[in-house]
Amino acid sequence: MPQVNNWQLGRDMGYVYDAKYPARQFAFVFNINRCIACQTCTMACKSTWTFSKGQEHMWWANVESKPYGGYPQSWDAKILRMLEEANPGEQRWSEPASADNGQPYGQYDGQTIFEAAEQTLTPDSARVLGYLPPDEEWNSPNIYEDNPVGGRGVRDRLHETGEQLPIHNTWFFYLARICNHCSYPACLAACPRKAIYKRPEDGIVLIDQEQCRGYRKCVEACPYKKAMYRGNTRTTEKCIACYPRVEGTDPESDGQPMETRCMASCIGQIRMQGLVQLNDDGSWAEDRQNPLYYLVHVAKVALPLYPQLGTQPNGYYIPPRWVPRPYLRQMFGPGVDEAIERYVNPDRELLAVLQLFRRSNKIIFRYEFEEGPQVYEGTLRGRPVTLYNDTVIAFGSDGNELFRTTVEEPLHVRPEQHANSI
Amino acid sequence: MPYDEPEPDDPQVLVGVTVPGDAESAREMAAAFADEFARMGFGRRQILALFRSPRYAGAHDALARLGDVEVARVVDESLGVWGQVRLAVEDAPTAPGSAADAGPVDSGRFLKVLK
Repeated sequence: MPQVNNWQLGRDMGYVYDAKYPARQFAFVFNINRCIACQTCTMACKSTWTFSKGQEHMWWANVESKPYGGYPQSWDAKILRMLEEANPGEQRWSEPASADNGQPYGQYDGQTIFEAAEQTLTPDSARVLGYLPPDEEWNSPNIYEDNPVGGRGVRDRLHETGEQLPIHNTWFFYLARICNHCSYPACLAACPRKAIYKRPEDGIVLIDQEQCRGYRKCVEACPYKKAMYRGNTRTTEKCIACYPRVEGTDPESDGQPMETRCMASCIGQIRMQGLVQLNDDGSWAEDRQNPLYYLVHVAKVALPLYPQLGTQPNGYYIPPRWVPRPYLRQMFGPGVDEAIERYVNPDRELLAVLQLFRRSNKIIFRYEFEEGPQVYEGTLRGRPVTLYNDTVIAFGSDGNELFRTTVEEPLHVRPEQHANSI
Repeated sequence: MPYDEPEPDDPQVLVGVTVPGDAESAREMAAAFADEFARMGFGRRQILALFRSPRYAGAHDALARLGDVEVARVVDESLGVWGQVRLAVEDAPTAPGSAADAGPVDSGRFLKVLK
């Protein structure tokens, strides 16, 4: 099996094909701390693409509750268990993190889904460790949360207070998910017809619908379960990263690359998407003023989802700060503690970059940060907080300014009924 | 949710498992939401409305467990810092003749392009 560099694992790993990297890579950061599961992103995906015959199921974004939920149900617990059974007790990280050694999260010594397949699966054509979810596991995107019943016999009305929604009596959080457009896609590795390809210009992973015969090997292989078989077209589909927008061919874009619909619609402002430059070995090229590079490689507050699976996903998450660390370390790797510490105590630049989220629908390629005077000093829950009137300026692909954000002194608007009061 | 109690052999029934949690996690979750939405410019009434809506299960669960008084205290703490300032976003000037300059795109034009 050819060896490829997986910088997230801090080592080389076996992959089905030789390494090939795009000119730029589609990537995104989701800030879980802000997500309230309003499902606006989910509906944006659905309403954008399911408008014609044959497109009824072109709907790939979802938001699920963790640790209970999942779409399909328990997708992550199942693949983690399969890996553990393939390599009992050895699925561990070692080596301290060292950016100098190209190991920002340390080194993963366990087996990836590709390596485990090579050692445990037969015949040789089985390239990726995975499973095919049964239909029941797909039937409720948010099982027990997506269909609160109204009164018996009362149609088309939710319960007025929503009190029949389930109660989680412990910690939980919402995990928004789209396809990670992985650098080493498991779906692509598994397809016997080579119908899946990674676009050389932006790294978006697509399924050629003319080539696909619906064998569902990609559905079985994708550990994130973002390849979905459609019975009505007898082919498999997956998230297309709203590529007309990313290409800048959307009529609203003026030829500038735009963020996907799920990103643009996010009312919680948890999402930022971009295109990052790559080195020859697939690692991110230094691009200090790219906000995604800053969040992932400088501030290191955004971490890949289940990096130990080995696909080098290009979706990154700012972990929820209230969730027990062992669970988060399993989900996001060893960088969790440092990420949360930095996020809870943000420096001036991080605070400024966080203000770039959802201020524009166009992709931000570069930002500038201008320091301003101090406007507040105090404490919050025992931690010192100092705020400055800093300015962060965002630039698009053509180098022109998109917008700028500054801090202003508070503006108190007098209520209308007291408009003439002193 | 189903109307009736599930059949004993229904494979779709979730089996509840106690997940070890920190007693402070509800307070931390409430503080996280309060901080985030205060940073986004939400006021006290708006943030408390988020907690009171049962459809935002995370925030609402924190309210159910901590109570109105404690959640209000957490929100006021956040606003005590992040409410001191507000963010001003200034879009770059629109280039003459650009799509943005021409105003909103009508849906008919968008559909025409897709066809």
